[in-house]
Amino acid sequence: MTVKESKRPSDWMMEFCVKPCAIAAFFVYVAFLWTLPLQHAIAYPFVFLFFGAIMGSAWFGGITAGVIAIVLSSIFLDFFFIVPLYSISVATKSQSFFVAFILCSIAITIISSVRKRSETAVRNARDQLETKVQERTAELQRSNLEIKESERQLRLLTEAIPQQIWRADGSGRIEYCNHHLCDYVGESTEAIQGEAYFNLLNPEDEPLFRQGWQAALAAGSRFEMEARVRGADNVYRWFLVRSIPQRSANGQIACWYGIHIDVEEQHRAQQGLVLAQGDLSRLSRISSMAEMAASIAHELNQPLTAAVTHAYACREWLSAEPPNFAKASAAAEKIVRESTRASAVVGRVRALFRNEAQLRETTDLNLLIQELARLLRAEAIRRDVSIKLVLANDLPHLAIDQVQIQQVLLNLATNGMDAMMQISPPRELIFRSEKHGEDGILVAVEDHGTGVAPEIAARIFEPFFSTKPQGTGIGLAICRSIVEAHNGRLEVVNSPGGGAIFQFTIRNE
Amino acid sequence: MNVISDEARETVFIVDDDASIREGLCDLLDAVGVNAESFASAEEFLEHWSAARAGCLVLDARLPGMTGVEFQEKMKQLGILLPIIFMTGHGDIPMVRKVMKAGAVEFLTKPFQKLELLAAVKQAFAIDRARRQEEAILNSIRARFESLTERERTVMEMVTAGLLNKQIAAELNLSEIMVKLHRRHVMDKMRANSLADLVKLSERIKMQ
Repeated sequence: MTVKESKRPSDWMMEFCVKPCAIAAFFVYVAFLWTLPLQHAIAYPFVFLFFGAIMGSAWFGGITAGVIAIVLSSIFLDFFFIVPLYSISVATKSQSFFVAFILCSIAITIISSVRKRSETAVRNARDQLETKVQERTAELQRSNLEIKESERQLRLLTEAIPQQIWRADGSGRIEYCNHHLCDYVGESTEAIQGEAYFNLLNPEDEPLFRQGWQAALAAGSRFEMEARVRGADNVYRWFLVRSIPQRSANGQIACWYGIHIDVEEQHRAQQGLVLAQGDLSRLSRISSMAEMAASIAHELNQPLTAAVTHAYACREWLSAEPPNFAKASAAAEKIVRESTRASAVVGRVRALFRNEAQLRETTDLNLLIQELARLLRAEAIRRDVSIKLVLANDLPHLAIDQVQIQQVLLNLATNGMDAMMQISPPRELIFRSEKHGEDGILVAVEDHGTGVAPEIAARIFEPFFSTKPQGTGIGLAICRSIVEAHNGRLEVVNSPGGGAIFQFTIRNE
Repeated sequence: MNVISDEARETVFIVDDDASIREGLCDLLDAVGVNAESFASAEEFLEHWSAARAGCLVLDARLPGMTGVEFQEKMKQLGILLPIIFMTGHGDIPMVRKVMKAGAVEFLTKPFQKLELLAAVKQAFAIDRARRQEEAILNSIRARFESLTERERTVMEMVTAGLLNKQIAAELNLSEIMVKLHRRHVMDKMRANSLADLVKLSERIKMQ
């Protein structure tokens, strides 16, 4: 029935001629065969079986078969059962009966075929529905399987990625951890859920971490923070904890995905780098000073040695018997020459400093201090010292040797930090700048150390005077000569707070 | 300068790159009557060196080119056994240890006292003298040994090894009288007064 569209002429013949004819012929013939014997037992004329035949034909063969059955039934009825029997003609008294029969037959055919059609339509609809339901069910099952598979894949992925991963609900409560995370902390997912998670963090990092996490939850923005996380072996390692919110269709945060990235090595390397940098700068400072001192010492030592040797020789010539005045005089001449040479060395060293002083540029001293504070930051963090800047505005710009003044500041800052190493944190190093007189500036570097004793303060700027075991005693002496070359003064006072204040003034010439 | 007469005299060889130091040292040593020669570098010294020279070396530890320490090693390789006095502007302990271990006589820090220098020079001269005397004795012994005949040398070897005349005679297939004769020639030529003397002499030759 569903192939009506693709009909060839022979099929069409089969559908609309042969099949209805056969059905109609079959039913009418059966009805006829039954009516023949029964007509003698029942009152004349017996036609009900023909109605049945018509109904059946119309039902099974459609309206065409019904019409054919009417025609056939009429012929059989007229021929065999309506007087005159065995003749096509109809007696007048039977005409009304015959017409009634035909009308009834037509009615039955119509009703039957309509019923049949509607039933077929209903059945078709039901069949279609059923097919659709089946299709849908299969589809559903398939998509269910797919979801399950992708879920499984996802889970495999989260377990396979060599990273520690967790998921938290919308309120930030951890509800799932992958096995890497569980393995690392040595706990089950249940033991890490909710508040217990924060117990895994180093107590020093936990408050800041919690604060950051709460802020991220409130803002619904991504979260990123480094913290030390305790492992199963009770050892803390540095992790970068990163989390992003997952929003549902209505914009609500459905869950948070988090990842722990092990950054212990980087941390260690960085720390090592900072340490190495500190060591290096300290070392280079000391060694360059020591080298300079050694080279100056060597330069001076040579002529002095020669002069001393000539002096000995001179004495020998004079004390000889008889004294050799000519040779003694020549030796004395050489003593003068060598002493002059030594003096020239001293002059060269001084000139070395004077030459540098010519590289002066007009500078905003505050900028210089800020730059130095930036340079010092790593060292200050390493030593747990906070640096504070108290800088005055509207300072005059001065012509200074930036490198030298920065060297002075660096030296004073390093001394200040050294001085605070004996006291426990918080340690604070303050750089202060203010106007001094008409056109000068005063810069102070203040620490909270133990201060400077008066007898030390009196000698602290002397060359080769040092209170540090590995100090060369040159730093502050050089600082003072630099400051004095800038028409200023460097001095130390004890601060009311207990530490020392090294302050210097500089002004334009 | 007269090279021939210099060879006999003990000389202080000064090696320092600073001309004024060289001059000062020469002047001082001249004033106290010590012969001195100076060189600006280790290489210059090696050019003028001959094995017959006696005395000591006053060496600056900081030299351009070859440093004092390197030069000390080089001298050992070349078989120059001249005692060395080091001098330096500022001595660092590791260097001092190294050169003293390698056999330096003294380490002087500039500027040094006259007496320090003279004492060191005196000590170095004494060491050099002793070395040269030892060398002279050895040379003499070697010369005496060279003068022995092949047979006498064999006899000397066996005698100092503790064999009796009779045993030597049997070993060399000689008569005992001949062995005695060889033995007396050996004692005479080696200028040995006793068997003990001869043993000592043979030990010293063997040590070479």
